[in-house]
Amino acid sequence: MTVLGELALWIALPVAIWGMVLAFVGGKHGRGDLVLSAERSVYAVFALLVTASAGIVAAFLGNRYEYLYVASYSNRALDTFYKASGLWAGQRGSLLFWVVLLAFFSSVAVFTNRNKNREFMPYVSGVLLTVITFFIIVLLFADVNPFEKLGFTPADGQGLNPQLQNYWMTIHPPTLYLGFTSFTVPFAFAMSALLSGRLDSRWIVVTRRWTLLSWFFLANGIIFGMRWAYQELGWGGYWFWDPVENASLLPLLTATAFLHSVMIQEKRGMLKVWNMALVTLTFSLTIFATFLTRSGLIDSVHSFAQNTKISFIFLGFLATIIGVSTVLIIHRYPQLKSETEIQSFVSRESAFLFNNLMLLAVAFAIMWGILLPLLSEGLTGEAIQVGAPFFNRVNLPIGMVLLALVGIGPVIAWRRASKRNLTKNFTIPLLVGITVVGIFAIRGSRHWMALTTFGISAFVMTVIVVEFFKGTRARARIEGEGIPRAFVHLVARNRRRWGGYIVHVGIVMIFTAFAGAAFNVKVIQTLSPGQSITLASPLGHDYTLTYEGMSSSRGRNMVWQAVALMSIDRDGRRVGSITTEKRLYETWPTPMTEVGIHSTPFEDVYVILANADDLIAGAYENDPAAQRATFEFQINPLVGWIWYGGLVLTFGALIAMWPSQGPLPEVRQTAARREAVPAAVGAD
Amino acid sequence: MFKNRRFFIGLVGVAAVVTYLIWTGVSETMVYYMTPVELMARTTSDPSLHQVGIKVSGRIVKGSWELVSGEELIHRFAVEDLEDPGVAFPVVYQGLLPDTFNDHENVEAVVEGRFREDGVFEATSVLTKCGSRYEASSEELAG
Repeated sequence: MTVLGELALWIALPVAIWGMVLAFVGGKHGRGDLVLSAERSVYAVFALLVTASAGIVAAFLGNRYEYLYVASYSNRALDTFYKASGLWAGQRGSLLFWVVLLAFFSSVAVFTNRNKNREFMPYVSGVLLTVITFFIIVLLFADVNPFEKLGFTPADGQGLNPQLQNYWMTIHPPTLYLGFTSFTVPFAFAMSALLSGRLDSRWIVVTRRWTLLSWFFLANGIIFGMRWAYQELGWGGYWFWDPVENASLLPLLTATAFLHSVMIQEKRGMLKVWNMALVTLTFSLTIFATFLTRSGLIDSVHSFAQNTKISFIFLGFLATIIGVSTVLIIHRYPQLKSETEIQSFVSRESAFLFNNLMLLAVAFAIMWGILLPLLSEGLTGEAIQVGAPFFNRVNLPIGMVLLALVGIGPVIAWRRASKRNLTKNFTIPLLVGITVVGIFAIRGSRHWMALTTFGISAFVMTVIVVEFFKGTRARARIEGEGIPRAFVHLVARNRRRWGGYIVHVGIVMIFTAFAGAAFNVKVIQTLSPGQSITLASPLGHDYTLTYEGMSSSRGRNMVWQAVALMSIDRDGRRVGSITTEKRLYETWPTPMTEVGIHSTPFEDVYVILANADDLIAGAYENDPAAQRATFEFQINPLVGWIWYGGLVLTFGALIAMWPSQGPLPEVRQTAARREAVPAAVGAD
Repeated sequence: MFKNRRFFIGLVGVAAVVTYLIWTGVSETMVYYMTPVELMARTTSDPSLHQVGIKVSGRIVKGSWELVSGEELIHRFAVEDLEDPGVAFPVVYQGLLPDTFNDHENVEAVVEGRFREDGVFEATSVLTKCGSRYEASSEELAG
């Protein structure tokens, strides 16, 4: 199976190149037969890459340690679940995984458009196959072939880093990669529009769901990563402002900007060049993020490899993407003129544009922070770095403005907002926001950044709730429906709009959670069994945690596991218990920490076993006198709202993406069009 | 596109505010990033560097880790240069060390903090990169 997989990877290269050439030639000369052949090679490449991936998975499951990649990320005792996910555990497999996902999305794009949008498809297939070809070349020729053999067969593998043996870590990379790869489809359509000269809003309408799908995966991928960091890294935080985290955030920011600015083009025929630039930028950033994770160019806890060959190949590819798209945009510039102009500073267009500027400002600041060490070293020979304080300082104020725009954008009028429009829509939400800040201030809170965020959040939530209320009431009155029915129909009739509002609710929840971190409590304390510590929660009650003792057990793949048990009382009433552990894995030299988390809707109690006097005597031999241990105790208010917000956001995005019922009229007339289209494309 | 002059002014205003935020952000939060060899040379020639934030990338000296206080989680260890292991300096750090920290394998570490005038590095954060464990070389697998 594994040999077959390697063979499939080699065969995929000529097939992809063949298809790429045919797609461009067929598109240029209007040869439908060539285009059809190119589309078939998309499916073929997908099948071949699936075979290659299956080969790697089979090697993991079959303990084939003669393969360097398998030996580096697995061992016999590893759970089957983590063996199977070895495909994306390291650089080599991840790159294969990346391209197989891209081939999957390419196949879906080609298949769903087999009878429609034919005028775009030749170049779409061509662009998709170009990106696929690039990744296959990287896999085969940049010293990252996952099928590389060692030349001998070790008895066992090195095992998987225990920190990566976590459910969230298993689904975090694939989700992020789904987001990265699916964005290639909107990019391919944009390039196709530029190449074929079909520069109206069609390419945007066609790829609307793709963009949303990609955004949805990116957002969830990042949230899963935060969840992993919170549970596994054992310091109670979820975001490091680490270069690789930042790199994954960049395409999310620009994709968010793109999702909003395309609406302006659809509704008002403006921002055409801007949208082309944004789609190119976002796609480039997905490649940049993939590259940064897997190249080691910049110091980061995430970047594993130090392979300079791959850096040059990736940078070359990035430069090509940006260069070619720029040339195409300049070439088509006369056809990308705006059909209308912005009429007023106080209008929805203006709010959307402002939202775009803010998102790009955040992206720019983050990019600056990532590249600063390289730039400063290159220019002055002296490396300068910035970390969390820089990113917080710059991004917090911009983030608050963005949050406010979430409330302003949806209700401010198009073209030119009247005074009446403004007072009608914003009086109540503003009052609610100010009241919230007032209540917190009266109760003695002086953390102004957090208070402002809470106030803005309340403002935005009110705007959204009022919108839902007004829409439902109007529908109930006009259609004579009951309130629940009217509500469902309201959302169903304009899923994109109302789904988008639900996504906004999720975003507000997540921002509120970020602000909650301003009130975190953190105490380090050493306890003997029976002793307890009392912590005052910022929500006004007390938690008493009693250290009950330490026990030992032996989990799979572990030498030992020392488990400290802690009971939790809230205001004198028992509410639960927590365990926190040290584990020594068979394949890892040092004990790993497992934190204990007691989650409630408004706060988490988070305990870390920091140090034990004598783990062996205390836990292993069950000697209470030796069980004295040092813990870090944290109370993290609102942190759970990030995960709840993620669920709300997912729900909203699914509503917005859900296909409309029944075939659209344009789909039915396609049989005739399919024949006619290649000629039309060739006319360019 | 921007016939409206107010709009153009707004745009310039935004750009100015963002530039200001980034500029002051960098100048007030930046740290120098150096190797142990550079740290020794630079602080000798410019003692004012003892007062500013510095980030040093090196390797944990084998056998150098000592838990000064288990109750207060005060750690002491030494970091050496990756290329010139003769150059090393002591580090004190209070807090939780990452799980990948140890002093018996070749662990690369990045410490951030202040290099005191008495030659001790007072770290506010310690990051470890257990490079060999993420991407094994064939020699290590053979061993």
